[in-house]
Amino acid sequence: MNVAIMKTKAEQAISESFEAVAETLPGSAVVQERRAQAIGAFSGLGLPHRRIEEWKYTDLRANVKEVFPPAVDRATPLTIAELIVALGPLAHVDARRIVFVNGNHRAELGDVADEAGLEVAALGQMLASATEDVSAALASTPEGGDAVEALNTAFMTDGAVVTVAEGASVPKPLLIVFVRAGSDASSVAVRNFVTMGQGASATVIEAHVVLPGASHEAQLNSLTEVTVGKGATLRHAKVAVDEGKSLHLSNCDVTLGADATYRNFQFSTGLGLARNGLNVIFEGEGGKLDISGAYLARRAEHIDTTLVVDHAVPRCESRELFKGVLDDHGRGVFQGKIIVRPDAQKTDGKQMSQALMLSEDAEFDSKPELEIYADDVVCGHGTTVAELDADLLFYCRSRGIPEKEARALMIESFIGEAIEKVENEQLRDALTAYAIQWLDRSRHG
Amino acid sequence: MLEIKNLHVKLADEDRMILKGLSLNVPNGEVHAIMGPNGSGKSTLAYVLAGRDGYEIVDGDILWNGESIVDMEPDERAAKGVFLAFQYPMEIPGVAGLTFLRTALNSVRKKRGAAELTTPAFFKLVKEKGQNLNIDVEMLKRPVNVGFSGGEKKRSEILQMALLEPTLCVLDETDSGLDIDALRVVSDGVNALRAKDRAFVVITHYQRLLNYIVPDKVHVLADGRIQKTGGKELALELEKSGYAEYTHKAA
Repeated sequence: MNVAIMKTKAEQAISESFEAVAETLPGSAVVQERRAQAIGAFSGLGLPHRRIEEWKYTDLRANVKEVFPPAVDRATPLTIAELIVALGPLAHVDARRIVFVNGNHRAELGDVADEAGLEVAALGQMLASATEDVSAALASTPEGGDAVEALNTAFMTDGAVVTVAEGASVPKPLLIVFVRAGSDASSVAVRNFVTMGQGASATVIEAHVVLPGASHEAQLNSLTEVTVGKGATLRHAKVAVDEGKSLHLSNCDVTLGADATYRNFQFSTGLGLARNGLNVIFEGEGGKLDISGAYLARRAEHIDTTLVVDHAVPRCESRELFKGVLDDHGRGVFQGKIIVRPDAQKTDGKQMSQALMLSEDAEFDSKPELEIYADDVVCGHGTTVAELDADLLFYCRSRGIPEKEARALMIESFIGEAIEKVENEQLRDALTAYAIQWLDRSRHG
Repeated sequence: MLEIKNLHVKLADEDRMILKGLSLNVPNGEVHAIMGPNGSGKSTLAYVLAGRDGYEIVDGDILWNGESIVDMEPDERAAKGVFLAFQYPMEIPGVAGLTFLRTALNSVRKKRGAAELTTPAFFKLVKEKGQNLNIDVEMLKRPVNVGFSGGEKKRSEILQMALLEPTLCVLDETDSGLDIDALRVVSDGVNALRAKDRAFVVITHYQRLLNYIVPDKVHVLADGRIQKTGGKELALELEKSGYAEYTHKAA
């Protein structure tokens, strides 16, 4: 059956804005061809909507009414002092930095130095200058017909290309900073690549932050492609902190080799409408995965976490723990799919998603999906939804702790269990500081 | 002095009265035991003193050192010196014992007009008070009461009490779930806090605890009222004869 679907205004605007900026987007002819293909694919797919199972709770077609102009090569000035302000608690994390402002690399704000085994480059430059083969690979649209990823390929301007050489162990974390600045409404698309050679080890933190005073009319599309080689370890975190209005569409596609370890932590607060997608595939036996996160939503904020973990080979382990704090009309969505292929015996998968509701108007939708085709596996999942425990609150208050502080202590304790998963202590402290800031601004906290 | 005057209390969402005209005076410097059968209102009394939600005071009043506390929030009462040692101390996953103690201590200090303690001063104090209760700092780095044995939980309650320096200590079935050794440690901790400006209300079902924490007076609570008051020998009497006489009277 061929049903002609009317394009929404926003879908129309996306196609039009591509026409308008296509020539200024970086990349060789091959890249431009890929972009055209991607926008064509998007045109066919349209914005995801609630009748698509994976987008049941996060209907972009209904919720994205406006499309902001792409921030292509916009020279928004930003000083180091402003960068520090935008980073907030993250500024205290001892890390090397590569910095992008409105989706464009700013070498002068970063301090990525030559370090044995670590290569960090800006995608924008690579797309423009690399050989056709390389740039085409960089502009590949990941499989799956995902409209959001297709848009990323069409519009991506820049991002970090990180390569850690075989056997190299990078001591300092790498902080990839995306700052939004300036008073213009804008949309930004960025793409990162993190490739870990055999036996390599590193920590990468992706931060999406806002310079105070920047426009709230913002749309972000971020895609990070991660490859962790045999026996390598990547500790990866994505921290997104905004002021409650922006559209934040993020995907992370991960391939894990044999005996590789991948730890991912997702921290989100102040995102108007967010989709944090993570797709992981185990390609070699003995892989270990930990995807965890914490998010805080209030007003009408909506934070969607959608995970797909594909146990394609035997003897891999996956752990997922997500904790959400929801106030006012805040909404949390958790979709966790674990696929265990017929050959993937001895798979060990565990998933837990918990929400703490601070308001009667808050909403939490949780959808675990276990597709298990092997018979010798251990897989478990759980979801809990709770309010603050009145008995516990009384216990704290009977010790002299005022109600506001007692509530804050309990909320911290709730998400603290997830933040504990982050290995870097300075990052843990920064995330805790963000959570405390959030609580300080809350009517409850 | 604690003065409880003609206290009538019911659950907020039920009509049935639990305390039906309870009157009691506990002068500073004294330890009074409240004994009674199950369901007599002992725990209700403890919770109402500490200010827990869910109870409605229909009539009567509670004065602590001349001031009515019934309209005070639990944390205000704590600042005024009221402390309830819980029958079942709560576990707080994700909050280290030290963080909890420090937050509590600084909260009450602030309300009492004292300066917040510096980190070294706080550690010194915790070490000193913990020593007598066999609680070391390592134990307090763990989340509050999580995975603690019954004895550890009760010792941790008494440590909180020692740190917050309350003037009205209410102990709710502190002996429940304790073996003899733990009972001795906990009782020693309580006895060390006995002072002339401090009053104790020790709520217990069994006489055993009162061998260790020797009361000045014993009150029998049944059917929501004090039915009889006597010296410490009354506890021994109850141990022999049970509460039948009082429950019968009540019925």
